[in-house]
Amino acid sequence: MGTDAAAADAARGTVSRRSVLTASAAVASGALPLLLTACKGVQALGTPPPPAPDIVALRTAILAEETLLARYAAVVRLASTPAGSGVVTAIKTVQAEHVAHLAQLKSRLVEPAGSTPSSFPSASSSPSASGSPGATPGAPVSGTLPAALTALEEAEQAASDRLIGQLGVLPASLAQLFASVAASEAAHVPYLRAAARRGL
Amino acid sequence: MTGGSVIGALQAALSAEQAASYGYGIVGAHLPQGSATQAGASTDWVAHVRAADQLTQLISARGATPVPAAVAYQLPFPVSTTAQARALAATLEDRVAQAYLGLVALTEISLRSFGAQQVRAAAVRAEGWRGWTEAFPGLPASSLRR
Repeated sequence: MGTDAAAADAARGTVSRRSVLTASAAVASGALPLLLTACKGVQALGTPPPPAPDIVALRTAILAEETLLARYAAVVRLASTPAGSGVVTAIKTVQAEHVAHLAQLKSRLVEPAGSTPSSFPSASSSPSASGSPGATPGAPVSGTLPAALTALEEAEQAASDRLIGQLGVLPASLAQLFASVAASEAAHVPYLRAAARRGL
Repeated sequence: MTGGSVIGALQAALSAEQAASYGYGIVGAHLPQGSATQAGASTDWVAHVRAADQLTQLISARGATPVPAAVAYQLPFPVSTTAQARALAATLEDRVAQAYLGLVALTEISLRSFGAQQVRAAAVRAEGWRGWTEAFPGLPASSLRR
Protein backbone atom coordinates (compact mmCIF):
# COMPACT_ATOMS: atom_id res chain seq x y z
CA MET A 1 0.00 0.00 0.00
CA GLY A 2 2.85 2.34 0.87
CA THR A 3 4.47 1.56 -2.44
CA ASP A 4 1.30 2.41 -4.26
CA ALA A 5 1.08 5.72 -2.43
CA ALA A 6 4.68 6.57 -3.28
CA ALA A 7 4.12 5.71 -6.93
CA ALA A 8 1.08 7.92 -6.96
CA ASP A 9 3.07 10.72 -5.35
CA ALA A 10 5.85 10.33 -7.86
CA ALA A 11 3.36 10.52 -10.70
CA ARG A 12 1.98 13.75 -9.24
CA GLY A 13 5.37 15.14 -8.27
CA THR A 14 4.23 15.60 -4.69
CA VAL A 15 4.88 13.96 -1.32
CA SER A 16 1.80 12.95 0.58
CA ARG A 17 1.48 12.66 4.36
CA ARG A 18 0.89 8.92 3.87
CA SER A 19 4.18 8.37 2.01
CA VAL A 20 6.11 10.28 4.64
CA LEU A 21 4.62 8.10 7.33
CA THR A 22 5.46 5.00 5.29
CA ALA A 23 9.09 6.08 5.01
CA SER A 24 9.23 6.73 8.74
CA ALA A 25 7.96 3.25 9.41
CA ALA A 26 10.63 1.80 7.15
CA VAL A 27 13.32 3.58 9.14
CA ALA A 28 11.85 2.40 12.40
CA SER A 29 11.77 -1.20 11.17
CA GLY A 30 15.52 -1.28 10.40
CA ALA A 31 15.54 -0.45 6.73
CA LEU A 32 17.87 2.51 7.26
CA PRO A 33 21.11 0.63 6.60
CA LEU A 34 19.77 -0.49 3.25
CA LEU A 35 18.93 3.06 2.33
CA LEU A 36 22.35 4.29 3.40
CA THR A 37 24.23 1.80 1.31
CA ALA A 38 23.35 3.91 -1.69
CA CYS A 39 25.11 6.93 -0.15
CA LYS A 40 28.66 7.92 -1.02
CA GLY A 41 29.57 8.17 2.65
CA VAL A 42 29.40 4.43 3.10
CA GLN A 43 31.63 3.84 0.09
CA ALA A 44 34.39 5.73 1.87
CA LEU A 45 34.62 2.81 4.30
CA GLY A 46 35.67 0.48 1.51
CA THR A 47 39.18 -0.28 0.27
CA PRO A 48 41.10 2.96 -0.34
CA PRO A 49 42.34 3.55 -3.87
CA PRO A 50 45.95 2.60 -4.57
CA PRO A 51 48.46 5.42 -4.10
CA ALA A 52 49.28 7.52 -7.13
CA PRO A 53 52.45 6.58 -9.05
CA ASP A 54 54.30 9.66 -7.85
CA ILE A 55 53.52 8.78 -4.24
CA VAL A 56 54.81 5.24 -4.80
CA ALA A 57 57.97 6.65 -6.39
CA LEU A 58 58.48 9.03 -3.49
CA ARG A 59 58.00 6.30 -0.89
CA THR A 60 60.44 4.09 -2.79
CA ALA A 61 63.01 6.88 -2.90
CA ILE A 62 62.62 7.47 0.84
CA LEU A 63 63.09 3.79 1.52
CA ALA A 64 66.20 3.72 -0.67
CA GLU A 65 67.70 6.66 1.22
CA GLU A 66 66.94 5.01 4.55
CA THR A 67 68.59 1.77 3.50
CA LEU A 68 71.59 3.64 2.11
CA LEU A 69 71.92 5.51 5.39
CA ALA A 70 71.79 2.27 7.34
CA ARG A 71 74.51 0.95 5.13
CA TYR A 72 76.65 4.05 5.57
CA ALA A 73 76.30 3.76 9.34
CA ALA A 74 77.64 0.22 9.14
CA VAL A 75 80.58 1.27 6.97
CA VAL A 76 81.39 4.16 9.30
CA ARG A 77 81.63 1.63 12.13
CA LEU A 78 83.87 -0.52 9.96
CA ALA A 79 86.07 2.47 9.11
CA SER A 80 86.34 3.72 12.67
CA THR A 81 89.70 2.04 13.14
CA PRO A 82 93.24 3.27 12.54
CA ALA A 83 93.18 1.56 9.15
CA GLY A 84 90.07 3.47 8.11
CA SER A 85 90.99 6.91 9.46
CA GLY A 86 91.87 8.12 5.97
CA VAL A 87 88.41 7.52 4.56
CA VAL A 88 86.03 7.87 7.47
CA THR A 89 85.69 11.64 6.99
CA ALA A 90 84.76 11.19 3.34
CA ILE A 91 82.23 8.52 4.22
CA LYS A 92 80.65 10.75 6.86
CA THR A 93 80.49 13.62 4.36
CA VAL A 94 78.49 11.51 1.93
CA GLN A 95 76.40 10.18 4.78
CA ALA A 96 75.44 13.76 5.71
CA GLU A 97 74.31 14.42 2.15
CA HIS A 98 72.07 11.37 2.29
CA VAL A 99 70.56 12.72 5.49
CA ALA A 100 69.77 15.92 3.57
CA HIS A 101 68.31 13.90 0.68
CA LEU A 102 66.08 11.98 3.05
CA ALA A 103 64.85 15.14 4.75
CA GLN A 104 63.92 16.77 1.45
CA LEU A 105 62.19 13.67 0.12
CA LYS A 106 60.22 13.24 3.33
CA SER A 107 59.17 16.88 3.26
CA ARG A 108 57.45 16.24 -0.08
CA LEU A 109 55.42 13.29 1.20
CA VAL A 110 52.05 14.20 2.68
CA GLU A 111 50.26 11.17 4.08
CA PRO A 112 46.53 11.40 4.79
CA ALA A 113 45.83 11.66 8.52
CA GLY A 114 45.57 8.27 10.17
CA SER A 115 46.74 6.39 7.10
CA THR A 116 49.04 3.41 7.33
CA PRO A 117 50.83 3.13 4.01
CA SER A 118 50.76 -0.60 3.42
CA SER A 119 52.90 -0.23 0.29
CA PHE A 120 55.68 1.49 2.23
CA PRO A 121 57.85 -1.31 3.62
CA SER A 122 60.36 -0.59 6.32
CA ALA A 123 64.04 -0.33 5.57
CA SER A 124 64.73 -3.56 7.37
CA SER A 125 62.03 -5.56 5.61
CA SER A 126 63.01 -4.78 2.03
CA PRO A 127 66.71 -4.64 1.47
CA SER A 128 66.58 -4.70 -2.29
CA ALA A 129 65.01 -2.10 -4.52
CA SER A 130 67.37 -1.97 -7.43
CA GLY A 131 67.03 -5.44 -8.82
CA SER A 132 70.79 -5.86 -8.86
CA PRO A 133 72.08 -8.15 -6.13
CA GLY A 134 75.50 -6.56 -6.17
CA ALA A 135 74.18 -3.06 -5.82
CA THR A 136 71.29 -3.28 -3.40
CA PRO A 137 71.30 -0.44 -0.90
CA GLY A 138 70.37 -2.69 1.99
CA ALA A 139 72.71 -5.55 1.26
CA PRO A 140 74.96 -6.62 4.14
CA VAL A 141 78.22 -4.75 4.50
CA SER A 142 81.17 -6.72 3.23
CA GLY A 143 83.83 -7.76 5.68
CA THR A 144 86.71 -5.59 4.55
CA LEU A 145 86.70 -1.84 4.23
CA PRO A 146 87.84 -1.76 0.58
CA ALA A 147 85.10 -4.22 -0.33
CA ALA A 148 82.53 -2.23 1.65
CA LEU A 149 83.53 0.96 -0.16
CA THR A 150 83.25 -0.72 -3.53
CA ALA A 151 79.79 -1.96 -2.58
CA LEU A 152 78.82 1.58 -1.54
CA GLU A 153 79.90 2.90 -4.94
CA GLU A 154 77.74 0.30 -6.65
CA ALA A 155 74.80 1.09 -4.39
CA GLU A 156 75.15 4.81 -5.12
CA GLN A 157 75.14 4.24 -8.87
CA ALA A 158 72.15 1.91 -8.63
CA ALA A 159 70.25 4.43 -6.50
CA SER A 160 71.00 7.18 -9.00
CA ASP A 161 69.84 5.06 -11.93
CA ARG A 162 66.66 4.11 -10.11
CA LEU A 163 65.75 7.73 -9.38
CA ILE A 164 66.22 8.75 -12.99
CA GLY A 165 64.12 5.80 -14.08
CA GLN A 166 61.18 7.11 -12.06
CA LEU A 167 61.14 10.64 -13.47
CA GLY A 168 58.33 9.94 -15.91
CA VAL A 169 55.64 9.64 -13.24
CA LEU A 170 56.58 12.72 -11.25
CA PRO A 171 55.30 16.29 -11.21
CA ALA A 172 57.83 18.91 -12.28
CA SER A 173 59.19 20.05 -8.93
CA LEU A 174 59.54 16.51 -7.61
CA ALA A 175 61.24 15.45 -10.85
CA GLN A 176 63.79 18.20 -10.34
CA LEU A 177 64.46 17.02 -6.80
CA PHE A 178 64.84 13.41 -7.96
CA ALA A 179 67.20 14.46 -10.76
CA SER A 180 69.30 16.53 -8.39
CA VAL A 181 69.52 13.74 -5.81
CA ALA A 182 70.37 11.29 -8.58
CA ALA A 183 73.16 13.59 -9.72
CA SER A 184 74.50 13.87 -6.19
CA GLU A 185 74.50 10.10 -5.76
CA ALA A 186 76.27 9.59 -9.08
CA ALA A 187 78.93 12.09 -7.97
CA HIS A 188 79.44 10.11 -4.78
CA VAL A 189 80.87 7.26 -6.85
CA PRO A 190 84.09 9.01 -7.99
CA TYR A 191 84.29 10.82 -4.65
CA LEU A 192 84.32 7.55 -2.69
CA ARG A 193 86.73 6.00 -5.19
CA ALA A 194 89.14 8.90 -4.82
CA ALA A 195 88.85 8.76 -1.04
CA ALA A 196 89.65 5.06 -1.10
CA ARG A 197 92.68 5.67 -3.30
CA ARG A 198 93.98 8.33 -0.95
CA GLY A 199 93.08 6.76 2.35
CA LEU A 200 93.47 3.02 2.07
CA MET B 1 53.90 22.95 -20.74
CA THR B 2 53.63 25.28 -23.71
CA GLY B 3 55.87 25.13 -26.76
CA GLY B 4 57.32 28.46 -25.73
CA SER B 5 58.32 27.07 -22.36
CA VAL B 6 59.97 24.09 -24.02
CA ILE B 7 61.95 26.29 -26.38
CA GLY B 8 62.81 28.62 -23.52
CA ALA B 9 64.19 25.76 -21.43
CA LEU B 10 66.15 24.41 -24.39
CA GLN B 11 67.56 27.85 -25.15
CA ALA B 12 68.58 28.31 -21.51
CA ALA B 13 70.40 24.99 -21.53
CA LEU B 14 72.06 25.89 -24.83
CA SER B 15 73.17 29.22 -23.40
CA ALA B 16 74.71 27.49 -20.38
CA GLU B 17 76.51 25.00 -22.62
CA GLN B 18 77.86 27.78 -24.84
CA ALA B 19 79.14 29.64 -21.78
CA ALA B 20 80.72 26.43 -20.48
CA SER B 21 82.41 25.79 -23.82
CA TYR B 22 83.88 29.29 -23.71
CA GLY B 23 84.82 28.96 -20.05
CA TYR B 24 86.66 25.70 -20.52
CA GLY B 25 88.95 27.48 -22.94
CA ILE B 26 89.94 29.76 -20.06
CA VAL B 27 90.22 26.77 -17.71
CA GLY B 28 92.50 24.86 -20.04
CA ALA B 29 94.75 27.85 -20.60
CA HIS B 30 95.48 28.08 -16.87
CA LEU B 31 96.22 24.42 -16.24
CA PRO B 32 99.71 22.93 -16.55
CA GLN B 33 100.49 22.37 -20.21
CA GLY B 34 100.34 18.72 -21.22
CA SER B 35 99.09 17.60 -17.81
CA ALA B 36 96.41 15.02 -17.19
CA THR B 37 94.33 17.78 -15.67
CA GLN B 38 94.48 19.78 -18.87
CA ALA B 39 93.55 16.68 -20.84
CA GLY B 40 90.57 16.31 -18.51
CA ALA B 41 89.52 19.88 -19.23
CA SER B 42 89.75 19.13 -22.94
CA THR B 43 87.53 16.07 -22.52
CA ASP B 44 84.96 18.10 -20.60
CA TRP B 45 85.07 20.87 -23.20
CA VAL B 46 84.26 18.33 -25.91
CA ALA B 47 81.32 17.07 -23.84
CA HIS B 48 79.91 20.58 -23.65
CA VAL B 49 80.38 21.26 -27.35
CA ARG B 50 78.56 18.04 -28.19
CA ALA B 51 75.76 18.83 -25.77
CA ALA B 52 75.39 22.27 -27.34
CA ASP B 53 75.13 20.60 -30.76
CA GLN B 54 72.39 18.31 -29.44
CA LEU B 55 70.46 21.24 -28.02
CA THR B 56 70.83 23.16 -31.27
CA GLN B 57 69.28 20.23 -33.12
CA LEU B 58 66.47 19.89 -30.58
CA ILE B 59 65.60 23.57 -30.91
CA SER B 60 65.77 23.53 -34.71
CA ALA B 61 63.63 20.39 -34.87
CA ARG B 62 60.91 22.33 -33.07
CA GLY B 63 60.95 25.09 -35.67
CA ALA B 64 62.79 27.64 -33.54
CA THR B 65 66.12 29.31 -34.13
CA PRO B 66 68.91 28.49 -31.69
CA VAL B 67 70.40 31.61 -30.15
CA PRO B 68 74.05 31.82 -31.23
CA ALA B 69 76.86 31.91 -28.70
CA ALA B 70 78.25 35.24 -27.57
CA VAL B 71 81.67 36.30 -28.74
CA ALA B 72 82.89 36.45 -25.14
CA TYR B 73 81.49 35.90 -21.64
CA GLN B 74 82.07 37.70 -18.38
CA LEU B 75 83.88 35.37 -16.00
CA PRO B 76 82.33 35.05 -12.52
CA PHE B 77 85.73 35.77 -10.94
CA PRO B 78 89.28 36.42 -12.13
CA VAL B 79 91.21 33.35 -13.25
CA SER B 80 94.98 33.39 -13.19
CA THR B 81 95.96 30.27 -11.23
CA THR B 82 95.38 26.54 -11.47
CA ALA B 83 93.15 26.62 -8.39
CA GLN B 84 91.05 29.40 -9.87
CA ALA B 85 90.81 27.50 -13.13
CA ARG B 86 89.52 24.44 -11.30
CA ALA B 87 87.03 26.60 -9.39
CA LEU B 88 85.82 28.11 -12.66
CA ALA B 89 85.28 24.65 -14.15
CA ALA B 90 83.23 23.61 -11.12
CA THR B 91 81.18 26.81 -11.32
CA LEU B 92 80.50 26.25 -15.00
CA GLU B 93 79.26 22.76 -14.24
CA ASP B 94 77.00 24.07 -11.47
CA ARG B 95 75.41 26.51 -13.89
CA VAL B 96 74.98 23.84 -16.54
CA ALA B 97 73.31 21.55 -14.00
CA GLN B 98 70.92 24.32 -12.98
CA ALA B 99 69.99 25.04 -16.60
CA TYR B 100 69.29 21.38 -17.34
CA LEU B 101 66.92 21.16 -14.39
CA GLY B 102 64.71 23.40 -16.53
CA LEU B 103 64.43 20.52 -18.99
CA VAL B 104 63.66 18.10 -16.17
CA ALA B 105 60.62 20.24 -15.32
CA LEU B 106 59.14 19.69 -18.78
CA THR B 107 56.47 17.07 -19.35
CA GLU B 108 58.08 15.64 -22.50
CA ILE B 109 59.69 12.48 -21.20
CA SER B 110 62.58 12.40 -23.66
CA LEU B 111 63.60 15.96 -22.77
CA ARG B 112 63.16 15.27 -19.07
CA SER B 113 65.40 12.22 -19.30
CA PHE B 114 67.98 14.05 -21.40
CA GLY B 115 68.01 16.88 -18.87
CA ALA B 116 68.44 14.51 -15.93
CA GLN B 117 71.33 12.70 -17.61
CA GLN B 118 73.03 16.03 -18.25
CA VAL B 119 72.51 17.21 -14.66
CA ARG B 120 74.14 13.99 -13.52
CA ALA B 121 77.06 14.33 -15.92
CA ALA B 122 77.63 17.92 -14.80
CA ALA B 123 77.60 16.92 -11.13
CA VAL B 124 80.16 14.19 -11.74
CA ARG B 125 82.42 16.59 -13.64
CA ALA B 126 82.02 19.21 -10.90
CA GLU B 127 83.13 16.67 -8.32
CA GLY B 128 86.24 16.02 -10.37
CA TRP B 129 87.17 19.70 -10.38
CA ARG B 130 86.06 20.59 -6.89
CA GLY B 131 87.10 17.46 -5.07
CA TRP B 132 83.86 17.17 -3.15
CA THR B 133 80.19 16.66 -3.85
CA GLU B 134 77.06 18.66 -3.30
CA ALA B 135 73.81 17.35 -1.87
CA PHE B 136 71.59 19.05 -4.45
CA PRO B 137 73.42 19.86 -7.69
CA GLY B 138 71.64 22.49 -9.74
CA LEU B 139 68.90 23.18 -7.20
CA PRO B 140 68.95 26.67 -5.70
CA ALA B 141 68.80 26.68 -1.92
CA SER B 142 65.55 28.63 -2.09
CA SER B 143 63.83 25.63 -3.68
CA LEU B 144 64.68 23.35 -0.77
CA ARG B 145 62.22 22.96 2.08
CA ARG B 146 63.34 23.66 5.61
